[in-house]
Amino acid sequence: MINLLGRRRFLEVAGIAALVASFDGATARAAATRLRLIYWGGQARAEKTGKASQLFSDRTGIAVQNEFLAWSDYWTKLATQIAGGNAPDIVQMDYRYIAEYASRQVILPLDEFIGQQLDLIGFDQDQIEGGKVGGKLYGISLGANSVANIVNTAVFEKAGITLPANGFTYAQLYEYAELFKQAKLPNGVRVISDASGHEQMLESWLRQRGKALYTADGQLGFDVDDAKEWFILWSKLREAGVCVTAEDNALATGQMESSMIVMGKAALQPDNSNLLIAYQALMQDRLALAPYPLISVDATGGQYRKPSMFFSIARSSRAKSEAAQLLSFFISDPEAAKVLGTERGIPCSEKVRTALVTTLTPLERAGLEYVSGLGKILGPIPPSPPTAAGEIYQSALTNISQQVAFGMEKPENAGEMFVQQATELLSRG
Amino acid sequence: MEIARNSDAIPLHRERARSKGPRWYSSPQAAGYIFLLPWGIGFLCLSLGPILWSLYLSFTDFDLLTAPEWIGTANYVRMFTADTKFMTSVKVTFVYVLFSVPLKLAFALVVAMVLNRGIRGLPLYRALFYLPSLLGASVAIAILWRQLFAGNGLVNQFLAQFGIQGPSWISNPNYSLWTLIILAVWQFGSPMIVFLAGLRQIPADVYEAAQIDGAGPWRQFARITVPLLTPVIFFNAVIQTIDAFKTFTPAFIISNGSGGPVNSLLFYTLYLYQEAFGYFRMGYASALAWVLLIIIALFTAFAFLTSRYWVHYDE
Amino acid sequence: MMNSATLSDATTRSRIVSIVVHVLLISASVVMIYPLLWMLSASFRPENEIFTSASLLPSSFSLDSYIEGWSDLPVSFGRFFSNSFLIAILCVGGNVVSCSLAAFAFSRLEFRGRRTLFALMLITLMLPYHVTLIPQYVLFRGLGWVDTFLPLVVPKFLAVDAFFIFLMVQFFRGIPKELDEAAMMDGCSPWRIYCRVIMPLSMPVLATASIFTFIWTWDDFLGPLIYLNDMEQYTAMLGLRTFVDSTGVSNFGGLFAMSVLSLVPIFGFFLLFQRLLIEGIATTGMKR
Repeated sequence: MINLLGRRRFLEVAGIAALVASFDGATARAAATRLRLIYWGGQARAEKTGKASQLFSDRTGIAVQNEFLAWSDYWTKLATQIAGGNAPDIVQMDYRYIAEYASRQVILPLDEFIGQQLDLIGFDQDQIEGGKVGGKLYGISLGANSVANIVNTAVFEKAGITLPANGFTYAQLYEYAELFKQAKLPNGVRVISDASGHEQMLESWLRQRGKALYTADGQLGFDVDDAKEWFILWSKLREAGVCVTAEDNALATGQMESSMIVMGKAALQPDNSNLLIAYQALMQDRLALAPYPLISVDATGGQYRKPSMFFSIARSSRAKSEAAQLLSFFISDPEAAKVLGTERGIPCSEKVRTALVTTLTPLERAGLEYVSGLGKILGPIPPSPPTAAGEIYQSALTNISQQVAFGMEKPENAGEMFVQQATELLSRG
Repeated sequence: MEIARNSDAIPLHRERARSKGPRWYSSPQAAGYIFLLPWGIGFLCLSLGPILWSLYLSFTDFDLLTAPEWIGTANYVRMFTADTKFMTSVKVTFVYVLFSVPLKLAFALVVAMVLNRGIRGLPLYRALFYLPSLLGASVAIAILWRQLFAGNGLVNQFLAQFGIQGPSWISNPNYSLWTLIILAVWQFGSPMIVFLAGLRQIPADVYEAAQIDGAGPWRQFARITVPLLTPVIFFNAVIQTIDAFKTFTPAFIISNGSGGPVNSLLFYTLYLYQEAFGYFRMGYASALAWVLLIIIALFTAFAFLTSRYWVHYDE
Repeated sequence: MMNSATLSDATTRSRIVSIVVHVLLISASVVMIYPLLWMLSASFRPENEIFTSASLLPSSFSLDSYIEGWSDLPVSFGRFFSNSFLIAILCVGGNVVSCSLAAFAFSRLEFRGRRTLFALMLITLMLPYHVTLIPQYVLFRGLGWVDTFLPLVVPKFLAVDAFFIFLMVQFFRGIPKELDEAAMMDGCSPWRIYCRVIMPLSMPVLATASIFTFIWTWDDFLGPLIYLNDMEQYTAMLGLRTFVDSTGVSNFGGLFAMSVLSLVPIFGFFLLFQRLLIEGIATTGMKR
């Protein structure tokens, strides 16, 4: 409907538009097929993606127009473009949103392209699974990562602690805190940031207990007792000065420069393994990766390899086949891989990894080795989260954990509140 | 430009009118509409449509990605009966409006008056005081504000000189809103410029005449400046209040879109934005927008109705 | 009434007042611009020192942030600046013309429905832009204006900024009506009154409108974000936002350096136009 109106109006206004457009110096539109690719990221990613797209264009003759934005702007613009009928051909997707977009049929199932334009031979099976919603493949993983603690090795060295290679336990955190105190570290740096509101930490903790965050049919995978124990666990850590204070932790609003480790308030920072490089760029102390805390020395299955981000094809795309070609190029072409590096995560194709290994910097290699060296800590990838998962995280978990931290709510009540709010949000759909 | 005319002008005017005859486009009625033509086109094409569309959406369930679905007044019912975040956002916004607007206007007026006196270095001071407002919505502001108001930030370092141990203002739910109020007041440059322009339009000879009559600075302020400035004061008060109700960007960049520790920075439009673009509930967000519009409209109508008692136009 | 004693008292007092005023102004200025000084200092620091050092003076002075920030993105920052400048200037022109026309109508002309239309105009100020974002996008998409500057500039020529209409209305109402009446008796049409009477006397408010329009257009990022896809057309504000990304490596040095540079044109525009704010007094010195 809009397109029809648009074409007529467009012809009317084209004259004026062309005049002003030439005035503003817009680049000439490429003829033939042109793909629009949109993704979030900073300069580093923009540079690499730009180069990779150029390689693709040179090889296939299909022009690629890159649009990139900061994370916080990306979803607003993407939603606006989709609502306005102007979606790009290829969109970068996140684990959290892919179910949302897939269930609303905004992105295309990619199954029809497998084996033809899309070459998935040698692609990690669990990464393929990670991109499936309701049994169909909606996104191709651009790189794998796993959750990890970013470790400020300089602080641990000063305190005379060597972290165990297979990971440390929650109980050991208390020991470290004691050693930190004795070493009289500057700024009263704590062992770990307050992760009581951190969804991935909660998930790891639940998985080690044999529970899960969400079940396959989109319900909560834990109960009130679990939630209570979780908040009590962190309450104790907070009281003992093991984790960062409530006020300090609330400074971490999600940007890297305000994270506890960069601000020098904690020596351990839970996040994703592929961000090691980004953190290191902001700090002078040497950083390393370590697994999430274990509930006991022989706990298993806490973590999993997950797709860090996907490329999906928009249903409204008029160049679906070419788009699939671009996807395939990005994930399986060795030249593209060399350009893209591990900036989006560890490449999921075996042959790409082997081609890449020699070109990696030490930090990149650390990331690669971390993910492949997780051993028994690694468990199966969970089903894709329900659509309300994002809201439960931001609205319920973060909020309630902050209330507990600031003393506005008791941990026991917090457990009940959390389950109640989460269930309500899940049923809202 | 000359103005001096007297009563013989009247017969002259009638004579002229008869000889030339009134043109249709000179008649005030038509002239009004012609002058309003650009605005009218803009209003019909760019404002009216979207406004009505958003009203329609407020009665639907719209997730941006698929077509809207009519649900009647369900959004409004939910807002007033089952939504605690709504009440929080209203409270946060009202407190913000209540404190930031008067403080901002007071600073703006005082500084404008001081700068209007023609002291040495005036242009420099004027520019310096306006500088913060130039930063606008820069991402850098969030970083700067954290540097100032965090636990070991500059403000606390300053207070420590006096032995005061300050909390982490910006990340403590009890104080975080105040850091935003201070941010609003810090950027008082815009209303200050408007006041300056208003002060500049008061002719100097009016003050001179008053001074010759023996009026001191306070009397001049009370009898000349304030009355003549009331249209501008009214404008600034109304505009700043409307803007304060709609505040989004400072809250967004300082809390990174989250609404701050324990929703202490959950401004109304931030909550609206979360609903619209964060959780794909554009229908509900539209309902929120309309409730806000009604609140603002009520306030503005009240302001206009009471303005006749204190605002002096030269009519 | 004035003898020599009170005269010297008065001068001493006024001198003290003057000094006090200056001291207060200087300290207030420092407080006002301190955050900007911090930003300036951060722009000359190496990247990993920005957040970890507490002092205002950088340990080593480096122009790297400026050089990298300018040229690191696929499109040079200079391009962003010129885009921003072009859009801002066009918007200033549009606003000054279209809003003054509408303000003249609301404040000086009598016509049926004036109050209602005025109220409608004010109502456009009250709706948060998030709800009008999508319908306007749909409209511009239908016109084929997406990915050009048109959605950002053309609305300004259609008096979309009710803020300025309202502002000018308040100022116009402060201009004595006798002037209009006198001009009408001379046989002036409303158009001539607008051009010859109202506009020349409105330099302060027009200067104000120009300054605000320029700065707000320059600082606006939501419009450019939604309507500009091609990086060649990005504005400065949009470019700045690409420096910081929470999911990857950020370039804070570049951010601060380019933010500092970004302030230069708008500060310059302000300095240029603030003279009109002063000079306004020359033409408003009317005998009542």
